[in-house]
Amino acid sequence: MRDGFKRKLARLALYVSASLPFAQGAAAAEPLQAIGQGEGVLNVVAWEGYAQDDWVKPFEAATGCMVHAKYAGSSDEMVALMRSGGGDQYDVVSASGDATLRLIYGHDVQPINMALIPAWKNFIPQLQSPAFNTVKGVHYGVSYEWGPNTLLYNTKVFPTAPTSWSVIYNPAYKGKITVPDNPIQIADAALYLSKKDPSLGITDPYELNQTQMDAVVMLLQAQSKLIKKYWALASDEIQLFTSGDAVVGAAWPYQTNTLQAAKVPVAETIPQEGATGWADTWMISAKAPHPNCAYEWINWVTTPKVQAEQAIYFGETPANTLACKEMDAQQPGSCEQYHANAPSSYFDQIKFWKTPRTDCGNGQHDCLDYAAWQREWQIIKG
Amino acid sequence: MDDTRHGLGTTTGAQVTQPIVQLEGVAKTYGGAVALSRVDLTVHAGEFFTLLGPSGSGKTTTLRLIAGFERPDSGRILLDGQDVAALPPFERAVNTVFQDYALFPHLTLVENVAYGLRAKKMPKAEAHAQAEKALAAVQLANFAGRKPAQLSGGQRQRVALARAMVNRPRVLLLDEPLGALDLKLRHQMQQELKRLQNETGITFIYVTHDQDEALSMSDRIAVFAQGQIEQVGTAFDLYERPASAFVADFVGSSNILGNTLLRPEKLHLVPHAHAVPEGFEKRHGSVREIVYLGAITRAIVALEDGGTMQVMEANIVPVHGGLRFAPGDSVTVAWPRAASVIIGGSINKGEQ
Amino acid sequence: MNLKKALSAFGWRRPGMANAALLGLPALWFAGLYLAAIGALLITSFWTVDDLSGNLIPGFSLTNFQQLLATPVYTRIALRTVGIAAAVTITDVILAWPVAYAMIRLADQRLRAVMMAAVMVPLWSSYLARVYAWRVILAHNGLLNWALMEIGLPRAHIGYSNWAMWIVFSYLWLPFMILPVAASVERIPPSLLEASSDLGARGFATFRRVMLPMALPGMVAGAIFTFSLTLGDYVTPMLVGGRGSDFIGNVVYSNVGVTNNIPFAAAYAVLPLGVMAVFLLIARKLGAFDAL
Repeated sequence: MRDGFKRKLARLALYVSASLPFAQGAAAAEPLQAIGQGEGVLNVVAWEGYAQDDWVKPFEAATGCMVHAKYAGSSDEMVALMRSGGGDQYDVVSASGDATLRLIYGHDVQPINMALIPAWKNFIPQLQSPAFNTVKGVHYGVSYEWGPNTLLYNTKVFPTAPTSWSVIYNPAYKGKITVPDNPIQIADAALYLSKKDPSLGITDPYELNQTQMDAVVMLLQAQSKLIKKYWALASDEIQLFTSGDAVVGAAWPYQTNTLQAAKVPVAETIPQEGATGWADTWMISAKAPHPNCAYEWINWVTTPKVQAEQAIYFGETPANTLACKEMDAQQPGSCEQYHANAPSSYFDQIKFWKTPRTDCGNGQHDCLDYAAWQREWQIIKG
Repeated sequence: MDDTRHGLGTTTGAQVTQPIVQLEGVAKTYGGAVALSRVDLTVHAGEFFTLLGPSGSGKTTTLRLIAGFERPDSGRILLDGQDVAALPPFERAVNTVFQDYALFPHLTLVENVAYGLRAKKMPKAEAHAQAEKALAAVQLANFAGRKPAQLSGGQRQRVALARAMVNRPRVLLLDEPLGALDLKLRHQMQQELKRLQNETGITFIYVTHDQDEALSMSDRIAVFAQGQIEQVGTAFDLYERPASAFVADFVGSSNILGNTLLRPEKLHLVPHAHAVPEGFEKRHGSVREIVYLGAITRAIVALEDGGTMQVMEANIVPVHGGLRFAPGDSVTVAWPRAASVIIGGSINKGEQ
Repeated sequence: MNLKKALSAFGWRRPGMANAALLGLPALWFAGLYLAAIGALLITSFWTVDDLSGNLIPGFSLTNFQQLLATPVYTRIALRTVGIAAAVTITDVILAWPVAYAMIRLADQRLRAVMMAAVMVPLWSSYLARVYAWRVILAHNGLLNWALMEIGLPRAHIGYSNWAMWIVFSYLWLPFMILPVAASVERIPPSLLEASSDLGARGFATFRRVMLPMALPGMVAGAIFTFSLTLGDYVTPMLVGGRGSDFIGNVVYSNVGVTNNIPFAAAYAVLPLGVMAVFLLIARKLGAFDAL
């Protein structure tokens, strides 16, 4: 009698759960063999600024695929969105390196047939089969653009560019510092500590054991007393710098471009410790309802023209090497400004976002996974 | 009935002539509507003084002015000779019994009654002891811990009385306090009020629109109409020598012929052909309506020369054989010449 | 027609059945949707989630609750949430009284209508617009600091802080306090206030001893609004809060919408349910529902 009730309750719970946005990921489908007729619609999850009318309107005109874009504020939110409604709500996502593996191992995205992506062969070599979107030789996405997380500062307060990330941990700027509200921000502090305190033995800011994490958390907890606000949206940080509430902080080039366009006295720099950064990948949902439009879209945004438009708009670097000429044509000097022709050593100095896992990558398995990073981040924020 | 006899002499309250409340030229308007126009009034210490009038006549406004809930537009309000027109209610030595009782629903009876004492900073224990005594005086000693919602209308009325009187006010103001009670309870409470007033000697100013209540309880009565005082006097004065047609009509039943008042109970009804004794006047007519009321029989007579008269006859003679008259009968209404009163003849309006 | 007659006759003879027929649908809706949602929340709070794939693992595990209790930050966030909700409630009670009193006791018919509209108008505008407006007012170079500097005072550093949240929440929910307080003030018969004054109580004593206790149900009803609305909010902390301004709702939000750890979010969301249950019990004791 009681057991029967329990079983019923469990069934009810399962039934309710099925209607909530966390159904299980499906097994990966076979990659598309040829691009067929477009389905007329494309549902996109993207970073703010990744689905601008400048290239979306021509795409719609050319392919008949009408774009419905949903902006996400963080990698975590992107993953959640791609899993929502059983995984068939969205077709493509501009996932950063700290989300791609989660989507791949969660069976949320499908393998890509690179033969259908002609621009791919022109990508810089590091982004053709990077570990964050290619597993055991299978491509689960097409690289898009990349860039550094920069140090943004008010030029009235800092007449010369700060040379070290130490300014965002400096009590002298108490109440005037802002950093992203994002667990991956732990890596920024780890990168800084790896240079400042080599005895901790941090070699990769995304692979931290508990001892290393404790040191990073201590630094970030001290920093939290200096923080004005942890920003969640790029527009938040723009407002903080515009109003004078913040004078220094971690940012994307997008914020710098927007603030400078609004004549706010700011500039950005990559300090001597280097920087974390992102490399974004377009991925197709395992249950994408419009796969042909999805392929059309990826081909559209990897053309040199759109690559250049995106790079200049957001302030980042295109994956397609042919975009450099396009950039200079659209805005003279922009190819050099956004490092589209930089040597590979520049690429290598950026520590790209990736999902922290227990596997430290050096044979050790005592690293903290992303769930632990999220918990630590909550503790830091208080 | 007793009180009426008391009031026979025109020197009512000769033993208490010290004025306690005086209104001098008091006027009050509400947004252009005149509630009271230049009223003068004197209430003597120890009096049971009634403000009588129809609704909207200004009697309640007068009471509220004395209590301090309203400020007069002009005129003076004297309490023990001191002008209190500008003082708030909490600085006047008067207390009010409200028409709706206005008991505090969130307080127990003893807390309600002790409220005024506590407001004057009396220690709680002493205030409650006095409040309990006051509740005992109105037969509610066993209810001290209850809330007003648990009481009947009559009980609430008595709490309101105790709450006001425990403060030993110079003047107690009562605003139609018995209006919500049924007839029997009302009569009982009328006697209770009279008794309390006699025992405490506190001056009562009592507002009512019920003329029976006014006549039976009051030492003196002020009759209000349209924001003015028509007449101030004893029950006897008002009934027997009304100062105006309004008073004559409002107090008791009346037949008014020109400026002459004839009270129905002083008239006689005789068959048409009957002779009328010397010193009587008469009118001819026919019975339109006849109502048997137990102690009396009331007849409405349609007069030959127009108009109607009301006649009330005591049923002194046994009426085994039924009523003397029936509708349609030709009759003569007769009365002794002394029974007719010239309205406003010998009485001054307003103050004596 | 005959069926209609028979039905209404039946309803007249058996009023209980008639009521059941009338209330059946809303009751079903309530039980089906509302209680089921809370039930799902409770059940999910005992589940866990696979870290990498994000798949839910049904079952019975106290992991989420253990984590909540073992990590001091979650206690701190809960205390902050409840503390600010309480501060906002007290602030709104204090702010609502003069407005409600003026509206009901001092204003004439026309002024009262104008005041009522003024209280309600903010509720017609976007919640987000109002929060953003405050963000601009309280910012470093915002209206507040501009005004302070104009009169020669130093800047106030209350933008992006718990102070800012307290101010914005108090502003946001004030109408929800004014309206029930005004309604309960209106229900106090004027003769009671006259009686108090007549018995020798001055203005403040009348307020304290008659108005305040008699308007208590209105205040508690308003407090239910201000407290629960603050308790469940996460947008205002996100927009005007500073460092260390997370509410329970922010943790729930980041665990649902961002981290996809629904079981953990569910476990933490159980807490406000419990807080509100205690709050409502106290409210009932104070007679807040007597007037319903």
